Amino acid sequence: MTEYLIRRILQSILVMFLVSIVTFGLIHAAPGGPVQIFLAPGQSPEVIELQKKQLGLDRPVHIQYIEWLGRMLKGDFGKTFKSGTPVASLIWPTLKNTIILMATSWLLALLIAIPWGVYNSTRQYGVSDNIAAIVGYAGFAMPAFWFGILLQLTFSLKLNLFPLSDMYTYGKEGNILDLLYHMVLPVTVLVLINLASYLRFSRASMLDVLSQDYVRTARAKGVPERLVVYKHALRNALIPIITVIGLDLPIVVAGATLTETVFNWPGMGRLFVEMAFAREYSALMAITMIITVAVILGNLLADILYALVDPRVRLGARGGEAS
Amino acid sequence: MKRKWSILVAGALALSLLVSACGGSKAPSGGSQTSSDEPRDGGTLTWSTTSDIITLNYFFINDTASQDVANLIYAYLYNVDEEGRLVVDDWCIASELPEVSEDGKTYTIKLKDTPKWSDGKRLTAEDVVFTLESFANKDVLSPQYANFDKIESVKALDERTVQVTLSTVFAPFETSGLYIQIMPKHAFEGYEPSQYKDAPFGKDPSKTIYSGPYIWTEWKQKQSLTFERNPNWWGPKKPHIDKIVYKIYADQNTEVQALLKGEVDLVTQIPVASLPAVEGKPGIKLIEGPGPVYDYLGFNFNPENWPDGFVPFAGIKTRQAIAHAINRQGLVDSVLQGHGVLLNGPFLPNGWAYTGAEINYEYNVEKAKQLLAEDGWTMGPDGYLQKDGHKFEFTLQFNTGNKRREAVAAIIQANLKEVGIKVNIEPLDFSSWIENHVTPGRYQAVLLGWSLSIDPDAESIFSSKFFPPNGQNSGWYKNEKVDELWVKGYSVIDPAERKKVYAELAKEITTDLPYVFLYQQNIIVGMRDRVKFKDEDKPVLSLPYGETRHIYNWWLSE
Repeated sequence: MTEYLIRRILQSILVMFLVSIVTFGLIHAAPGGPVQIFLAPGQSPEVIELQKKQLGLDRPVHIQYIEWLGRMLKGDFGKTFKSGTPVASLIWPTLKNTIILMATSWLLALLIAIPWGVYNSTRQYGVSDNIAAIVGYAGFAMPAFWFGILLQLTFSLKLNLFPLSDMYTYGKEGNILDLLYHMVLPVTVLVLINLASYLRFSRASMLDVLSQDYVRTARAKGVPERLVVYKHALRNALIPIITVIGLDLPIVVAGATLTETVFNWPGMGRLFVEMAFAREYSALMAITMIITVAVILGNLLADILYALVDPRVRLGARGGEAS
Repeated sequence: MKRKWSILVAGALALSLLVSACGGSKAPSGGSQTSSDEPRDGGTLTWSTTSDIITLNYFFINDTASQDVANLIYAYLYNVDEEGRLVVDDWCIASELPEVSEDGKTYTIKLKDTPKWSDGKRLTAEDVVFTLESFANKDVLSPQYANFDKIESVKALDERTVQVTLSTVFAPFETSGLYIQIMPKHAFEGYEPSQYKDAPFGKDPSKTIYSGPYIWTEWKQKQSLTFERNPNWWGPKKPHIDKIVYKIYADQNTEVQALLKGEVDLVTQIPVASLPAVEGKPGIKLIEGPGPVYDYLGFNFNPENWPDGFVPFAGIKTRQAIAHAINRQGLVDSVLQGHGVLLNGPFLPNGWAYTGAEINYEYNVEKAKQLLAEDGWTMGPDGYLQKDGHKFEFTLQFNTGNKRREAVAAIIQANLKEVGIKVNIEPLDFSSWIENHVTPGRYQAVLLGWSLSIDPDAESIFSSKFFPPNGQNSGWYKNEKVDELWVKGYSVIDPAERKKVYAELAKEITTDLPYVFLYQQNIIVGMRDRVKFKDEDKPVLSLPYGETRHIYNWWLSE
């Protein structure tokens, strides 16, 4: 296991390195630069050149990359072009806000979807299954911002039950109850959206396993249906679900731009879009790297969870039986 | 004071379409609602915005949000009246209007005795000298550098007197260079000019020093900024409102709903699409009027941008025909839904230099066709005009995501097809468009806008001295008479003389038509009824940042 982990970590470092080169290259290759956005129109080329020089944008891209890498290895995310604000001071508070919102909705979605999907697989086309199908279609079909505005109009403006937007009431920052109160509507939107795919997925995965031979064998030898479903089948059905969970983990840090925008949640999705429009290269790189780390961690987590669920993968699958 | 691209990208997401009913709603009258009850002190005003500030370090401010709130915390050297003339009032630092020398190059500025910084230090001539010198210093690299590059020297004659000498007579300097806020010299001690941007001043409220009626007490990024009355405010009158919260909304829709719910007292830019949601709602008043912005259709006269070097816009009659062929009033009625006014020339109709000498090209397809025929265009077999073997066809560029310009471009395309001109539409990402096409002057035609500065001078847009890449005459327009008139316009100091020059310019430029001037968009301000002000303190929407111009005199009724 240790050897496996070390190998994975080394791979991850290589992946991060490659991702950073590609992203850096793409960001700099994109037309339009920060200087054009920053300066008032009508500056002489001389002033534009000076500005580029001061911001370090006059040097070749590979030199700029090496400088960026050097700073990054020291843990310095750099500063924004426009105001010289340290990027770290923009990102960490935003990241925290996003994790609060996204982790809650994501976990809630999983906690609802997996048991419900499993239950539905045992009663295919029953009432509960049909309701789940409707919820699933609705979640897929409804645009997040539209649903968000609908909730705002109904539950905030009309019924006055929940706050319209924001994380906290002005002056109540840090108050957990106030935060929870403000989370109800955006979390509802995000849960519904995530629910759809997890519901369909867990149900399908379960149905797949339930039709396999060993399940029939278990049933044939008289094992009670409850045990067949929850002991024999569930474990195997979880493996593909875990893969999806691992792949989806990065959304917890990447944020949900539309929902954050509608509910005025100060999160990463909004920050990324703003920084992209302003061509703030350092901030864009920092956010990309954070998401890359999340992708790698998500995959790693999925692998570790496989091992927990399925003993066959525990020893790095070397010499183990393939399934 | 500042000239900016009028971007108004309409937000990355353009969500605002939702609340719209797209009805042809009538514009509310521009009249303000005043209250007979007497001002009272106290209360918190919540003012909303759709973007966070970038910095409150004045040297680097180049965005609306930052300047909005900088206006609360830093006193101006001079203020301007409703028509954009320099004035001295209770809130500014200077004690009398600047004295201009015989040769028109030297301005002597006298300061009041009272101004002081929030840390107790006196605001002196040294600070004024420091501010002007820093703007004019290339190492500081202020985005506003171009407004100060004519400064030859600045010196403090004594603690209360500053003398600014320009290298040449330049009348617009009165507003571009003197209608400014002053920075504290002692806050930048120990920093090289090239490091001013790195100073914590303007980023951390506790490390910023103030001279205005309010001080900045808190910044919760992407959420809100808080301003409280400056306990060390030096002016004779105190602001009525205790606290101003500048609250940031990511989405204009949410912002408007917050106004409806009463969570916000003041919204300075209500999108036209959201108007039906707020119009006639109890507890909300709306103030509307043309803003200091306009959109135009710009021609490019550089043969390098055209196949075989044939510029179809070369003939004056052709340009006039295009102006006649575009239903400009139709644009105002349909695209702006009436929330805008026709604009015929490059001067603000509410500004002091406006005389109405512009030519108005009314919508007249027959006249357009006739003018085109007179200019030698004949109808080709494909339904498009041609001349010397060239088809009349051009590409019109504008920025993606701007719903207004998208709609306008489509109408221009249809209007010009009527008279036999083929328009191809090309929307482009704003930043790369400006860099690759507008700044270097590489395009055939553009749909773009300007935010107007207070002074009428626009030499850098229309004079052949300012061809790319040195200036903003990106269409390579050349008219020697126009070139001379701009120079004349800023070389005389007397406003009455200047006004005559600009009247002549207005006529010449709208006859020759380097642009087809389209319209001024309205600004719509929404506020809760509890926000009160006297008539003389109402928003002046034709001025940049005029929405909250006299906010210090406003009060809250409850």
